[in-house]
Order: sequence, then structure tokens, then C-alpha cells
Amino acid sequence: MSWISTLNAWQWALLGAVPLIILLMYFLKLRREVVEVPSTYLWAKTIEDLHVNSLLQRLRRSLLLLLQLLAVLLAALALLRPGVRGESTSQSRLVFMVDRSASMQATDVKDDPSRFAQAKRLVAERIEAMQDTESAMLIAFDSRAEVMQTFTTDRGRLRDALDRIEVSDRTTDLLAALRAADGLAGAAASTKLDSEDPTVAANEEPATAKRIEPAILKLYSDGGFPSVAEVELNNLVPQFVALGSATPNNLAVTAFSAERNPDRPSELQTFATVSNFGSSRAAATATLSIGGEFADAAKVDLEPGEQTGISFKLENDAAVTMALKLDVDDDLKIDNEAFAGLAPAHTVKILLATDGNKPLELALGTFKAGKICEVEMVPPSYLESDGYKSRASSAGVDLMIFDRCSPPFMPATNTFSIGSLPKNGWEWASEPQPIVLIDADRTHPLMRYVEMLQLLVYRGRALTGPVGTIELLGADVGTVLAVAPRDGYQDLVLGFEVVSQANDGSLQVNTNWYAERSWPVFVLNVLKYLAGAAEGSAAQSHQPGETVRLRLETAAKSLEITREGDAKSNTVTIDSGSIAEFTATERLGNYRVEAGDKLADLFTVNLFDRRESTIAASDEVLIGYQTIAATTALTQQRHEYWRWLLVVMLGILVTEWWIYAKRLG
Amino acid sequence: MKGERRSQRKGQSVEFADFRSYVPGDDLRLIDWNLYARLDQLFLKLFQEEEDLHIYSLFDASDSMNFGDPTKLHVAKQLAAAIGYVGLCHSDRVSVAALGKAGRSAPTLRGRAGLWKMLQYLESVTSGGNESLFDAVKDFSIRNAGTGVVVLITDLLDKQGYEAALRMLVGRRMDVFLIHILSPEEIDPPLRGDRKLIDVEDGDAAEVTLNSYVLDRYRQTVRSFMEAARTFCSRRSIVYIPVQTDTPIETIVTRYLRQRGVVR
Repeated sequence: MSWISTLNAWQWALLGAVPLIILLMYFLKLRREVVEVPSTYLWAKTIEDLHVNSLLQRLRRSLLLLLQLLAVLLAALALLRPGVRGESTSQSRLVFMVDRSASMQATDVKDDPSRFAQAKRLVAERIEAMQDTESAMLIAFDSRAEVMQTFTTDRGRLRDALDRIEVSDRTTDLLAALRAADGLAGAAASTKLDSEDPTVAANEEPATAKRIEPAILKLYSDGGFPSVAEVELNNLVPQFVALGSATPNNLAVTAFSAERNPDRPSELQTFATVSNFGSSRAAATATLSIGGEFADAAKVDLEPGEQTGISFKLENDAAVTMALKLDVDDDLKIDNEAFAGLAPAHTVKILLATDGNKPLELALGTFKAGKICEVEMVPPSYLESDGYKSRASSAGVDLMIFDRCSPPFMPATNTFSIGSLPKNGWEWASEPQPIVLIDADRTHPLMRYVEMLQLLVYRGRALTGPVGTIELLGADVGTVLAVAPRDGYQDLVLGFEVVSQANDGSLQVNTNWYAERSWPVFVLNVLKYLAGAAEGSAAQSHQPGETVRLRLETAAKSLEITREGDAKSNTVTIDSGSIAEFTATERLGNYRVEAGDKLADLFTVNLFDRRESTIAASDEVLIGYQTIAATTALTQQRHEYWRWLLVVMLGILVTEWWIYAKRLG
Repeated sequence: MKGERRSQRKGQSVEFADFRSYVPGDDLRLIDWNLYARLDQLFLKLFQEEEDLHIYSLFDASDSMNFGDPTKLHVAKQLAAAIGYVGLCHSDRVSVAALGKAGRSAPTLRGRAGLWKMLQYLESVTSGGNESLFDAVKDFSIRNAGTGVVVLITDLLDKQGYEAALRMLVGRRMDVFLIHILSPEEIDPPLRGDRKLIDVEDGDAAEVTLNSYVLDRYRQTVRSFMEAARTFCSRRSIVYIPVQTDTPIETIVTRYLRQRGVVR
């Protein structure tokens, strides 16, 4: 049993005076009405009987007094907020971090509709158990972190903030949330607490005089996120409240795509991967529907941990939207459905600025590449012309390749620089020298199916890129192939030339890459990934919450974007570069982009995240090289009794009134 | 002088009452020789004694009697007058007197002509002079030697108790009738709430919170008080007659008193 005082000293003194006043009033109480009787003989006998009868009679005499005192005592007890199993933290700060990612929609919890609901309930209970000296902050996170409430001692504000949190379909990124929490906890410790909060301001001591003690970070999550090692928590002591069961049932569609047969454009092929992330064998029917109508179905039957591919072939030559649904009742519904679309077919336009690069020309001219791209070759001097200026600021080109040259300003499109550096933040990190390739990121779409480590490179240079640069290929001197984001576009930079110009002006190869099978595959990857020619005309798939950039050649000023199944559409204006940005991608589904009455594009929003689908709750998480074991949420619950005390007090008041009325009546 | 009334005591008359064994010292004239001849044992033949009756109608005139509507004193006076009148009509010796000092001036009367005197005396008696019952009875006993019938009309509300007083009357070989007079307000008080009760006789105060429980206890006390008086009286051959002031005087006289043998 622990107590939380809800009154301060003078308020307690005031309350303490109440019983004294009651006692005084009892002794000074009502004047009795004087009545003459023939004799008090019989009355005296009666009272004598009452007196000598028992102690009970004595109590009876002052029963009202006792009841009044008892009522005050109970009120005082209620004001002390008695409770059991509460945490007897002193002046402490709490950071509630609530996971609201897709996996929190899992229903494998007792007593609550979902993990997320349970998390909210537990946080609410903890908020109720807060002492006056405790302040708390509330952060909700999925793929991004949102501070719902900064440090405050006001439980009402925290409750309101908690009510505002809603579960999302997004993936989980704990790192951002941890950084936000750590930063705010540090800032709040060194400066004042939430200065807007009058209750805090009143109780606040000068911050400088206070010892900075770390805040307690209470992480309410299922642990469905990668270990976060690269963060150091200086101001936080993490506690992990694990939600969900360790043995859930979950079948999930982890990949779903569609493409047209290049030879027969009217033939559609769809491919899906279904995985069993549960702990028991699961079977389901996967139903494919096109445009909302049933098209085909297949059965899947998977042991735990297994996955299988499903493919369908269909005849359809229009732009279509597809949905694949697993008819299974498992713990997480959101990953039972996946969406794919086939956008209206269009070829990508490539502008290649080069003095001549035969291997590249050959790679762009292969059968497969030739089907999806149109290449326009220009000399490097073209980059100085007005023609480049106008094309660089419009959306007419899907990819610009700068071979051994760089433009005066970066175009409003993706670029691929070979042996040269773009202007914005890229720098050489070494002198030209023979290099040995030692590491490649095979997971990146650009490097898919590309085997490069045995390549010979005569001269190359290491490079460093702006913030957000991803290394794709590492050599002994450093990064030689990297991709970096630039205002929604991407710049791919290769640190060595494929074809270099000798001193005599003749061209000679700088690497044997051109002779490897990986070269045309890499160029095709570039076309697919950077030029947006991926999967032919398949609609791009995005993860929930991602910003979708639409690059459209259209005269229309605005686009109507509608999620299939929704009545309401979103209007998006196209800015000067024929670019439209769409952010309302919170919900999974097929999205149709319409310019005027014409279907301009399709894209889909799918979860496709194995981590979110792996919903078995982990019993520990790794944060900054520190393993945090899950604590059971139950031990942190505080059972409060003040309501019951108040009810009893009211009952006593009613009894007291009844007895009083009976005596008078 | 022998009178009409048949006394409870045995004595000389023509009416046979009982036998009893002879004990030395008994009047030999009373031995039933026929029985002696038959049984060879000595028995005395007893006869009802007829006496010239002296009726004392004593009523309590303390302040406690001045209570109720009509007051207990008023009803007591009426009863005393009625009994006295009956006695006068039978040519008995009648003393109607208030207990205490007011009783000293009470006339002793015989014959109907005394009625007016009696009524005048009753008229003159007011409440007050709160002597205890015992003192008043003692005073009466000292002044009136001899046997007779005493009808004591009182509310018995004496803090020193009524037992000694009654015992004294019985000890004086009196036939005692006790008319215990109480007002309905005393039996079932119409009081509620926090009250301070003041005794009209001695000014004693009792603070009580009158709720149904306390009132129940009070009624119980009254009942047991009356019951105790009844038991006390019946053990000593005193006729106990409880009377409530709201009962019409005719009913009391013609029914209650007749039932108990006070009047015929």
C-alpha cells in the first residue's frame, strides 16, 4: 500500500481542522427544548437503563459524532489516494513512448481489442498513478515520432494527448523516437519544465539547483523493430513493456507485384509471396480480385516460418488495379491484403550527355532496355545550352546520365554521373588510383543481381556525398558508388569512368565491367530504379506514410488522387516542374491518379514489411548496446482505492443523515 | 360499633367464615364443641367481623398531580369525592383528605349532610406542598389510629419510592385500595427530539434525545413500573387499580371500582 498526497501542507491543516470543528460543534451543540414533566422519575430510570445497558448505548448517544468523524477520516484517506503495487518514485520524470505501428493492430492480447488498445490502457493507468511530483512526456511513434505532449505534471493534458494517439498502418522506426525523447528529456532537465504549465511552474524549483536525473523511458511496444545500437541514451533509463503474445498466428502477404508480358502486353502476370509468421501451421485461400471483382484464387498451406510464392496469369489489356486477400482469421489483419496495379504503359526518356561511351550505349540498347527506354544522346557542351536549361526544369526527362561531365545546375530529375561529381555536396575523397572493390550492397534495388567484386578498375576515386548518401559499392580507397537524395530526386554517382579519354584524345576502357554480364543488368537496374521504368508499367508500391512524388507529362494543373473504395478524392496541384507530391498515403490500397478525366498513373500503398508482420512479441530489446528485458505491465499497475473510500464516505453521510432525521422525526 | 361492611378480618358476627386450629390463649367461647366431640380435636369457629367502617379517601396533591387535561389532581378529587359520597350514603365515617399538610384540615364526616363540607374541602385543596409519599402517609397514620379502609389515589411518582408508604398503611391493619392515576401523556409522551425535561416538583433536569428507541424504552419503563406496583400490591392484599385520566369518571366508579370491590 502506498499513498499519494493530493493536498499540500496548509490544505491538510485545513482538513485537520474539520474534525476539531465537528467535535466543538458537538459539545456546543443544539440547545435542548425545555419541557416540564410531572416527574423525571421514570425518565431517569429510562436513561439510567440506557446508560448502564452497554457500551453500545454510549456509542449510540454519540453515533452521529462518530459517523461524522468517520466520514472526515475517510475523506482524508481518499485524499491520500491509497493504492497498492504503485511505484514509489520520488520526484521523477517519465517518458511514455507508445508504439502505434501496424503490428500494434494485432489482436493477440487478453482483455483488450488490440495491442495498441492495451498500450493505451496501460499508459492511462500509469498516468492515473502519477504523483504530483512526477512529470511525464508522451511520444507516439511509427515510422516517425510525434511528441504528443511535452513534460507536464498535468494528468488531464496527458490523458488528452493519449486520446489523440491513433494506430497507423506504418512501419516502425524507433531511432527517431528515441532521439526525440532523449533530446527532450535532456533539454527539459537543463531548462525549465513545460513553462506553459502553471501547475509545474508553481511547484518548480530553479532548474540549476536541481540535480539532473535521467528520465524513465517507458516503451510500450511489441518489440517489432530492429535493434537500435547507434543511439546513446544519456538522459533516459529505458523500460520495455512488452505487449502481445510470443506465439501469435499470422499469415502475411510480403510481396505482391504484377507485370505485363513484354511479348504479349495483354497478358498479366502477378507474383505474390505469402509467409507464415505465426507459431503454428496455417492455411488460407488467397483471392485475387481485379478492379474489385473476383479473378482467381489459390490455396496456401504453410508451416511456421515458411513462405511460398503464388502466381496468377490473366488476360487483361487495360490499366488495372489488383488486390490479393488471404481469407484467414489471424492476429494481424492488415498484412493479409496487398495491392498492385498496372499503370498505363509508358516508356522512360533518358538524356545521355557523353563524348562517346560505347559500353553504355550497348547496355541501353539491349532488347529489354530498348523496350522500356528512349535514349537521346547529347554532347557535354549541350549542358551549357538553353535547351538543357529548359529541359532541366521540366519533367520531360526521366533520367539524365552525365558521363565524365557535370551540368551547371542539377536538373529536376534523377541523375547518374559516371566519373564526375554533381554539384550539390559531392566531393572526391582520394586521388585517381587503381582500386580494388571490396564490398557491395546487394540488397539495394540498383545492385540487384549485380556481381561486381571481381571487376578490374584501372583508375578510380573515392567519393563522399551529401547527408543521406547510401554506399552501394566500397573499394579499398572508400566509397566508389553511392546514391543520395536531392529534393525528392536521387543522384547516383560512380567514382570511376567506364570509358576514359587517353591523353591523345582516343577513348579507352577504364574497367572490364563492360565485358561482364553484370553491366547490362546494372544499367537495366538504373533504368528501372532511377528512371522509374521498374517492372515495365507496374504501379509503384509505397509504404504507408511515405510521400509519393508523381512526375507526369500533363497539361493539367491539378490531379485527383483517389484511393479505391474511398468516395472522397484528394486534389493535388502540380508545381512548376510537373511534379506533384502526395502525402495522404496512410492507408493501404490502390490509388488512382487522374488528370482531368484521364487515368494518368496508379500507385499502391502496401505494408510489405517482414518486421511488422513478425508479430511475436519479443521479451527484450536492444537499445544502444543495452539489452532491455520486458517488464510485465501488471507490476506497474496501481490499484487505487480512493473512489471506494469516497463511496463509503457518502454511504456514511447518508446513514448519518438518516439517523439524524429519525431522531428528530 | 359494628357497621354494615364486611371486613376482611375475622371477628364476631353471625356469618360463618372459617375454622382454625385452637392455640392456647384463644377465647374458649369460640371453640366448636361439636367438632371436638366428633374429631376429638379443638377447632375454633371463625365468623366474619362486621365493623363500623372508617373510610379514608386520600389523594395525592403534589405538583406532579397537576398535570394532564383534565389534571390528575382533578380526577383524583372527583374519585375521592365519589368514594366519600358512597361512604356518606352508607353512613360510614368518611375522611376525604389530601396527603400532606392540606390533609390536616380535612373534616371527618358521617351522613349525607357532610357532603357539602366534603366538597368545600376538596375545592380548597390546590396542588403543592411536595411532601414525599412516605412522609405524608406517616403523618396520616399518626393522626388516624385504628382500622378502616384507605383508598389512596396517587400517581406513585415519588423518587423515594412508594413501597414504604404502602407497607405502613398495611401495617396499620387498614384495608388498602390503591388507585394509581396516570395521564395518557405520561404513558405515551408526545415528545420527540432533543429535550431537557424539568421535574415540576424538585426542578431536576434530565437531558434526553427522544427517538423511537428511547421512547420505547420509556414505555417499557412505565409498564414495568405499573407491573411492579401491581405485584407489590397483590402480595400485600392491596387492591391495585390503574386509572387513566382520559377515562370518564363514571366508568371508573361504576366499573373499575365496583369490579375491585371498592364500591358495591
